[in-house]
Amino acid sequence: MLARALEASGIATTSISLVREHTEKIKPPRALFVPFPFGHAFGRPNDAALQHRVLAAALELLDAPAGPVLRDFPDDAEPGVEPPAPRQASMITPAPTVPTDVAGEVRAMRERHAQWLTKSGGRTVFGLSRVPAERFDDVARFLVRFAAGEDTDMRERPADTPLPAFIRWCADDLKTLYFEAYLATAADAGGDEIAQWFWGETAAGQLLRRVRDRLDASDDPKWKAAAFGVAR
Amino acid sequence: MPRLERLPAANRKTLLSFPTQENATAPFVRPVKPLHACRVAIVTTAGLHRRDDKAYGPGEQTYRVIPAVTPVADIVQSHTSIGFDRVPIMRDINITFPIERLRERAARGEIARAANNYSVMGALRETTKLESETAPEIARRLRDDGTDVALITPT
Repeated sequence: MLARALEASGIATTSISLVREHTEKIKPPRALFVPFPFGHAFGRPNDAALQHRVLAAALELLDAPAGPVLRDFPDDAEPGVEPPAPRQASMITPAPTVPTDVAGEVRAMRERHAQWLTKSGGRTVFGLSRVPAERFDDVARFLVRFAAGEDTDMRERPADTPLPAFIRWCADDLKTLYFEAYLATAADAGGDEIAQWFWGETAAGQLLRRVRDRLDASDDPKWKAAAFGVAR
Repeated sequence: MPRLERLPAANRKTLLSFPTQENATAPFVRPVKPLHACRVAIVTTAGLHRRDDKAYGPGEQTYRVIPAVTPVADIVQSHTSIGFDRVPIMRDINITFPIERLRERAARGEIARAANNYSVMGALRETTKLESETAPEIARRLRDDGTDVALITPT
């Protein structure tokens, strides 16, 4: 849709398609269907050679004399062992004993996350809530109060950000803190392995299940939408 | 994506019920230059933006600029749907936004240069404003940048 609008304005486009069935209907001017899972549009992280092959195949479509063009990327292999879509919390059974001290666990994760930042050269997708990592044991306590049904808030919440949106950002940052902390000592870990650990073995994972439950129990569609983004 | 038949039933259902346009033809302009002379931009639907830029809210039909020289450490993603795996982008931004790959191709002379990039939010169900206002504005800015080709990338 975006590609069509840009092309109609005179810009030549070439697109990566992850859902062939949608692309067949929408008909962007040029699209390369790739057989990779969601989140892996260019194949595998840190595999520059594969990424270049995908990029070259997408750019080659610019040679086509007429369109629409929909071509399949020739490598029909899945990238490694990752499932087509990440497993959701509801598909992961918590371990028989899971820690319950979320704030303490968060403090330990922060140290591992600092190691990740050193290794990644400062690259992180943490930061959507705008609450610094140093304050995340307070964020954990805030989420614990919220999950328990209390009327609660944080002073860091911007006035123009509704409570459910802020909770969603906090949950996203909490996940990022843990997932990137995990990568600090297992740089090649895939999303499925980390999801299994987070939802199965951490106090934060169980907390987010409870946060989801409270949001989902609301009649307000904005709360329900936030629940769908926290855990499902 | 993997073929739909390989997806868990819940994901397949969400995708098949997602509102999509159905078109019979496509607009089509041929680049006027050979690729090695083209300026190439990424226009991504992954909800990426610079760290100090405003995060996207769900369903937001606006755009953000990611200038050509932006360091990869300054790019974040506020499209956080749990329907896709975020670990690849934690490990390597190029998995969705191949900015370093484009810079490498420019250094090798395979494209003229990596131009300013643009982003919009992903998983939009309502796209009227995106089509009527946002996309034409992005196209205008791409033309002002002297960009010849836009690479459209999802997450």
